[in-house]
Amino acid sequence: MSALASIRDLTVTYRRDGNAVAALRNISLDIVAGERLAIIGESGSGKSTLALAIAGLLPASSAVAGRIEWSGLGRTPLLGRDIGFVFQDPSASLDPVMTIGKQIAEVARTHLGLTWSQAYAKAKTLLERVRLPDPDSALHAFPHQLSGGQKQRVAIAAAIAAGPKLLIADEATSALDTIVQAEIVALIRRLVAEDGMTLLFISHDIALAAELAERIAVFRHGQLVELGATAQIVDAPTQAYTRTLLDAHIGLDAAPLLNRAGLPA
Amino acid sequence: MSLLAVSNLTKHYRRGGKTVIAVDDVSFHIEPGETLALAGPSGSGKSTIARLVLRLIEPDAGAIEFEDNDFLALGGAALRARRARLQTVFQDPLAAFNPRATVAHVLDDPLRIHGIASRSERPHRIAALLERVGLAADLAPRAIHEISGGQRQRVAIARAIATKPSLIVLDEAVSALDVSVRGQILDLLLDLQRQERIAYLFISHDLGVVRAVSHRVILLDAGRIAESGDARAVIDAPQSAIGKALVAAAPRLKRTTQDAS
Amino acid sequence: MSPLRRFLRTPEAVAGAILLAALIAMALIAPLLFPGDPQAIAGPALLPPFQDWSLPLGTDRLGRDVLAELFHGARTSLAVGLAAAAAALAIGAVVGTLAGFAGGLVDEVLMRITDAFQTVPSFLLALAFVSVVGPSLGIVVAAIALGTWTGPARVARAEVLSIRERDYVASARAIGMHPLEIAFREVLPNALPPVLAMSSVIVAAAILTEAALSFLGLGDPNRVTWGGMIAEGRAVLRTAPFLSIVPGIALVLTVLGVYLAGEGVVETTAVRRSLS
Repeated sequence: MSALASIRDLTVTYRRDGNAVAALRNISLDIVAGERLAIIGESGSGKSTLALAIAGLLPASSAVAGRIEWSGLGRTPLLGRDIGFVFQDPSASLDPVMTIGKQIAEVARTHLGLTWSQAYAKAKTLLERVRLPDPDSALHAFPHQLSGGQKQRVAIAAAIAAGPKLLIADEATSALDTIVQAEIVALIRRLVAEDGMTLLFISHDIALAAELAERIAVFRHGQLVELGATAQIVDAPTQAYTRTLLDAHIGLDAAPLLNRAGLPA
Repeated sequence: MSLLAVSNLTKHYRRGGKTVIAVDDVSFHIEPGETLALAGPSGSGKSTIARLVLRLIEPDAGAIEFEDNDFLALGGAALRARRARLQTVFQDPLAAFNPRATVAHVLDDPLRIHGIASRSERPHRIAALLERVGLAADLAPRAIHEISGGQRQRVAIARAIATKPSLIVLDEAVSALDVSVRGQILDLLLDLQRQERIAYLFISHDLGVVRAVSHRVILLDAGRIAESGDARAVIDAPQSAIGKALVAAAPRLKRTTQDAS
Repeated sequence: MSPLRRFLRTPEAVAGAILLAALIAMALIAPLLFPGDPQAIAGPALLPPFQDWSLPLGTDRLGRDVLAELFHGARTSLAVGLAAAAAALAIGAVVGTLAGFAGGLVDEVLMRITDAFQTVPSFLLALAFVSVVGPSLGIVVAAIALGTWTGPARVARAEVLSIRERDYVASARAIGMHPLEIAFREVLPNALPPVLAMSSVIVAAAILTEAALSFLGLGDPNRVTWGGMIAEGRAVLRTAPFLSIVPGIALVLTVLGVYLAGEGVVETTAVRRSLS
């Protein structure tokens, strides 16, 4: 079990209207090479800040203490080449006036040193891999011609174009409906397995995270509450907060909250 | 008579020369004090139906009867007065308020517009409304953007119940909330329903929540009703293709040790 | 960082604010420093500047005190500039809000009227209006506003079109609020920031238009204006260029000050909004 990245005492502080707000406090965490690790938490838990910190995408106004060691990589990672990042809103991460094919090809060209024609061939292969219907015409399509789920498939294709070691999905399925969400989760699972990538899956949904991840890290108020194997977190959480999150999940088998006796016939 | 009876509701959109059918010949009814859920994937027309029922948009065909009146025939002042009985809570509690508003301001509007309380009485009514939704009365002078998401959704519920409505349209009203807050808001909504016999049109993509809080459910697919019936019966054994797909896609938490604590 | 501190850290904004403060101070102390009629004869005609310290900037062709005229002219420039800009912004915001919020025929009619005003160069419009109605301070203000309200109207309409679709407008309709109250209490205040961002340019343009009208002899004849002073000096441009140069410099500095200070305010508040 070797670590791809070791996070040590990471503290991230944002400055807002003259006040320092700690988004992450003394986080120490190993990301094991080849694992599927879920980071879950509610709003303000710092889970997205952690994703941005790992990807090197923190805003310039933030102050960072502690360190991230990339022992499994042996170099400082480059976003796009070593780390693929999938955002929540695919519309915001795709360029609206550039064709799908060019956006993906550009990543491949920049990081893999391919010619344009090689890069376009690679883009087509990637669109097939993310199961976009009719990849030939999709190469020349613009983002607005695709549905939300299709756009997210394209964003994933662009994220894995350079063959990154680490794929970060930051609430990548939260804006999608349940059916499309399940499809995208299945897609991420398959791509990660095929390419031997490490997955960092950021989500507010503990049930979704439990379906996909091997390990789960629970965050709250910028701190790591609990980290463990998925089965341990789900079946035997050691922290009360984890239990609260589990109990708050309303699944298809949950006891009805509704008192049916209250309804007149 | 039903509280709300919708028949053959149809709505088209023109988009780039093409006609998109958002709602196609949909009929349903809601009884007083009942929760009817509309569920379906995105683009199934559930939010369009919400906006049609609220008369924020106008249908191309169909009829809406509300409290034994032809709701579509109302206009101008008569419609505005009738809106007191048919309220709504939206998904994003931040977007649903004027960004410049304070809590007191938001709750003052319905009381003033519908002449429910005089100017001097209103601060007391606002305090009572805040307490009814589980908030401290001293929250009133705070700006909407200063309070938490859960508090905002409680304020939205307080605004909706200010005019004593018989029906509230909940358009993904708990979908954007943190899970720990979501349970409390659902409890509040169910408590209000028990106390005031308010009916809900509960729009959600989350079948788990739908099953837990609704009496009946309608599953929508591409603007049409795919399946409807008792919420638990439909979701536990869906018959339609979209029902089966929605149930299969819902994330499951496989806990081997289920304890009630 | 507070917006004020950010404003004070922007050198251009501070320079603009200083210029603007000097102009306002001139306008305010003009009646105290030069209590008499600035158009009264104060000494020999065409006295050059820095000769007689009781008349530091000299006198014009009729022997009037140039410094007194300059101070009193600041009052006119500032009053006309601010009043015309305020009128243009108010008309524009109301027309744009009504057009954007009502939509349909109302929108069509209001926007075609806006087009009609926009196709006529605003200076020609002001010129024609003043020539027909006659020059007085109020007419000059109206004439300038008439040519400049179209920009704010278009910006306000575009903003209202986007705000109209927001949930809080739907919420206001759902609680039964009257459409006019929604338009002017819920929508308009939130559509104002980009409209107000145009104010520095509009004030500066209004001051220049007023000066141009006065230069052409269409200003209020009972008031001293910088445009009028430049026109006066034109006849003796070769022998006494200072009579045109002094009010010209005042005009340039004022427009620059208004523009820089206004942009500073817009910049610093925009940064704040993008952060939150």
